[in-house]
Amino acid sequence: MPKSKRRRLTLRNREVLAGFLFILPWLVGVTVFFLFNIVQAVIYSFNTVDFNLGGIGFTLTPQGFSNLRFALLEHGSFNRELVTSLTDMLVNVPLIIFFSLFIAVCLNRKFMGRGVVRAIFFLPVIMATSAIDGSLDAVMRMMMGGASSIPPEIAGQQAGFHPGAIAFMLVDFGVPVIFIGYILDALARLYEIIRATGVQILIFLAALQAIPTSMYEVAQIEGATAYETFWKITFPLVSPLILTNVIYTIVDTFAESSVVETAFNTAFIHQNFGLSAAMSLISSVIACLALLLVGWLISKKVFYQVGD
Amino acid sequence: MGGGVMRLGGVKSYIRSKKTKRVNRSLAGTVMLFIFLALVGAFMAMPLVLTINNAFKPLDELFLFPPRFFVRNPTRGNFTDLIILMQGSWVPFSRYVFNTIFITGMGTVGHLFLASAAAYPLAKNNFPGKNILFSIVVLSLMFSVVVTSIPNYMIITWLGLNNTYWAIILPAFSASLGLYLMKQFMEQIPDSLIESARLDGASEFTIYRSIVMPNVKPAWLTLVILMFQALWTTTGGVFLRDEQLKPLNFAMSQIVGGGIARAGAGAAVMLVMMSVPIGFFIFSQSRIIETMTTSGMKD
Repeated sequence: MPKSKRRRLTLRNREVLAGFLFILPWLVGVTVFFLFNIVQAVIYSFNTVDFNLGGIGFTLTPQGFSNLRFALLEHGSFNRELVTSLTDMLVNVPLIIFFSLFIAVCLNRKFMGRGVVRAIFFLPVIMATSAIDGSLDAVMRMMMGGASSIPPEIAGQQAGFHPGAIAFMLVDFGVPVIFIGYILDALARLYEIIRATGVQILIFLAALQAIPTSMYEVAQIEGATAYETFWKITFPLVSPLILTNVIYTIVDTFAESSVVETAFNTAFIHQNFGLSAAMSLISSVIACLALLLVGWLISKKVFYQVGD
Repeated sequence: MGGGVMRLGGVKSYIRSKKTKRVNRSLAGTVMLFIFLALVGAFMAMPLVLTINNAFKPLDELFLFPPRFFVRNPTRGNFTDLIILMQGSWVPFSRYVFNTIFITGMGTVGHLFLASAAAYPLAKNNFPGKNILFSIVVLSLMFSVVVTSIPNYMIITWLGLNNTYWAIILPAFSASLGLYLMKQFMEQIPDSLIESARLDGASEFTIYRSIVMPNVKPAWLTLVILMFQALWTTTGGVFLRDEQLKPLNFAMSQIVGGGIARAGAGAAVMLVMMSVPIGFFIFSQSRIIETMTTSGMKD
């Protein structure tokens, strides 16, 4: 039969073809909505972008590397912000990863109201949205100083807690004033870390749930301690997702760093799109390099379940 | 199976277990852990508790100085205010609700299918160009939305999607984060599981649907939560200009933006907008059961 013959001939090709067919819809989307944009942004960074009078279209004037040079060497704050973001990332990423893994392991146990507790740990992600954030801001402002306080546009887009309001609440709870400075400092740091862990905890939870309980049963029968169980079962099996989470965290911290903010302001306040694109290009390249380095370091340690 | 378990056995850990097991499983340890979790949890829950309290505070308590955390005289007034505001809106309020549900639903489902379908061959098939494709995924993760917003606007306009729901939905379909996540999880599935299905004559689609997807259920439930959260909070940005197309988040932001006069309704808005993602989160997390990734294996 010709049909079966054709099948046998293309067994390997069939797999390839199927693979491409599976990827195709996504590939079309990513090409149209992302790759084109990135290419455009790179082109902008080597040009001056001037908007035509009348508001339709723009003209590009080639500038060579001058945008990149200006961003790195002459701009007032960009290079400092870049260094700050990088060092912040260096400190925060390990903290975020360890904290989220620890919380995920705790939340993976069976206990009453587990779903609710998990939701609580996901709250920071939910809170960081405009309507909620806006009204939380409004509430905090009311608490701080009523009608005469700063309008939201000036107060910035920082989500979540405002330390000042917490200070008042702590006083309301009866905490001595002397301690409040320390408490606030610690809280601010902790909150910054915790705020950034919602998604990571979720990813780790999903990874933990993929570990079959039979492994833990075996370990228990063999008399392994909880400590050994963690380091010999849990940790190796979630380690591929540690890499994932590190990458997610780097992307996330970079996306919220002052570098991106500066790029945004350069583009939409100072109307210098070429320079803005150059800034983003630089920070993206640096983030990519960081990713490559971290990915290379971690993948040497990652335990991939080979199965057979 | 994994080398990790093998090393666990043996005499050494057996002997040691008598001593250390007690310490590890002790009541004190559990209590300490519980206290730590409770403290962190309480800290995280604070905004939620504050939100709930604020939503029921009468105006004089909202503006009280120094502020109080808990409500003294709970009232429903904020919600009635909100309902009155909603009734007075120019576009019927149900329209905003529909917009958000449509955008969120379509975007989440579409993204789930596209991302997981693309992740399967990236994780488990071998074909030329695979590594390049995966590099593209990571690359598109790296670029911030800010810098690509201008070309993005041009593309959307050029496709004629400007001022339609699809300007929000279609880019969500091909977001890279979901694909990246799914691929990482799918790599954990043992190859032999897929090979045995292939030997039994299953088509690639069957493998994808009945082997791969059930096995990464925790992953795609996580993905759905993330996408839901992202789309639920969209305000439509520059793309949805008609008032009839604006999502709920935008309408709610408008109410909150009313300032002092709307403080009560604003507090109620916060509770309403928060409760939906939280409810969705709890619902989808409760769907997660232990998966069978390796339980079908005999090695």
